Amino acid sequence: MLRVEGLGKIYGPGGPADVEGTGPEFGRSVSPSTGAVVGCWDVGFEVAAGEALGVIGESGSGKSTVMRCIAGDQTATTGSAHIRTVDGGEADVMGFDPSRRRSLRVDELAVVYQDPSEGLDLHVSAGGNVADRLTAAGWRNFGDIRRRAAELLARTEVPLDRMDDPVSTFSGGMRQRVQLAKALANQPSVLLLDEPTTGLDASVAAGVLDLIRDLLQETGVAAVVVSHDFAVIEMLTRRSLVMHHSRVVEAGLTDQLLEDPQHPYSQRLVGAARG
Amino acid sequence: MPFQNLLTVRGLTKSFTLHAVDGRVVRGLCGVDLDIVEGEHVALAGRSGAGKSSLLKCVHRTYVADDGVVVYRRANGDAVDLLSMSDSDVADLRSQEIGYVSQFLRAEPRRGVLDVVAGAARRMGVDEGEARDRAADVLRRVNIDESLWSTYPTLLSGGEKQRVNLAAGIVEAPRLLLLDEPVSALDPANRVAVLDILSDLTSRGATVLSVFHDIDAMRVLADRVVVMEDGVVVDHGEANQVLDRNLERELV
Repeated sequence: MLRVEGLGKIYGPGGPADVEGTGPEFGRSVSPSTGAVVGCWDVGFEVAAGEALGVIGESGSGKSTVMRCIAGDQTATTGSAHIRTVDGGEADVMGFDPSRRRSLRVDELAVVYQDPSEGLDLHVSAGGNVADRLTAAGWRNFGDIRRRAAELLARTEVPLDRMDDPVSTFSGGMRQRVQLAKALANQPSVLLLDEPTTGLDASVAAGVLDLIRDLLQETGVAAVVVSHDFAVIEMLTRRSLVMHHSRVVEAGLTDQLLEDPQHPYSQRLVGAARG
Repeated sequence: MPFQNLLTVRGLTKSFTLHAVDGRVVRGLCGVDLDIVEGEHVALAGRSGAGKSSLLKCVHRTYVADDGVVVYRRANGDAVDLLSMSDSDVADLRSQEIGYVSQFLRAEPRRGVLDVVAGAARRMGVDEGEARDRAADVLRRVNIDESLWSTYPTLLSGGEKQRVNLAAGIVEAPRLLLLDEPVSALDPANRVAVLDILSDLTSRGATVLSVFHDIDAMRVLADRVVVMEDGVVVDHGEANQVLDRNLERELV
């Protein structure tokens, strides 16, 4: 459903030459000659419908950069991303102009951010945030929009008596539930989840994680889950990538990465999490 | 004609490179050959550290083998090398034909017992309503009282957890079931119940490759026993004969 090839992002001016001397074997993501920061480089993967792929690594490894480039929040330096349901998989969605990108984000490619303020307008009500996504997709009848928004919020376990309250009055866990309702409003083919439970209290995170797991199963969406937390990756995904210094150092079945990691960095990461 | 087998293992080697310990290499498997025909129960025997679990995990692709082939004959008749298959294809095969049951419960957290087992059936393609019926049925057979069905598995005793784990592994019997010490925590009565169920599975056509630390279980269930030592197969044959002659050598 989603195919990403040769994705690279270098911050600031500069080009592929800045990549030299960076990566895991050099232990840095900053070019020693030009000082350019390599966000991610040579990242490629495929995700099938109904499948979730994990991207794991510590802060600064480039996980979120990958996500943001695919989502179009950042402009990739190089590489392509194709979605099967968009132009029959022919078009590179990262090359879309701003207006096509906006409609892509409404219909086909949804993102749930760690920080709800990136995915929601906190001053608008929960129902309003979801309705906004429906209106953008062409829904016009007020009653229909309201019904559909209520249905989505009920599914993500947001109490309906809070539907008309501004999201700024919601707790962190509840904000993530509203983000999920909004993200799934138009039944996207691809869902990107960037640290969706990071920063929540353990018990709240567990509830949100349960909900995400159920939603992935129900919707059959192709999902990419970025997290530094093995428990999240283990619960949601069957295959994963390990990132370190802006590169993918290992890709494999999630249970294999946890039980028999091959790359020295993956071994350190698993050892630290399990030790 | 090795490819008439359900599973054909040739020259399987596995080592572990410990990068945190100056790249020290620990040898796991040193050239294992194994043949299993459809409907057979083959038990792996040997002292701990002989490589039994490593073999199971290499077949399941939880471990990355160094070398060798593991040819599996699919339900549609195709022979595939599990070691060179893509991760996605292995993941698909796991949800269709190949199951693994460890001695520890690896159920998802915060989900009731019945949901855990029904969820396992769902992942094997059974539809919602039927999954719950089958889950209920298999839970009764492993003696998990109905009063526990909505409880989270983390709150159960070790033996209950192990039975829930097994129930999830066999609720929709895979064609090839890999069993890693599935009765290690059970009391005698429950052990007998579980052994009955496993014996019933093979009689209905499932193929099993198992590791039991308990010799009586091997005698009851296994058609053949394969004895391993230091990462290689040192003996194999009809279960009771192999067990009798290796008991004296203290290899089992």
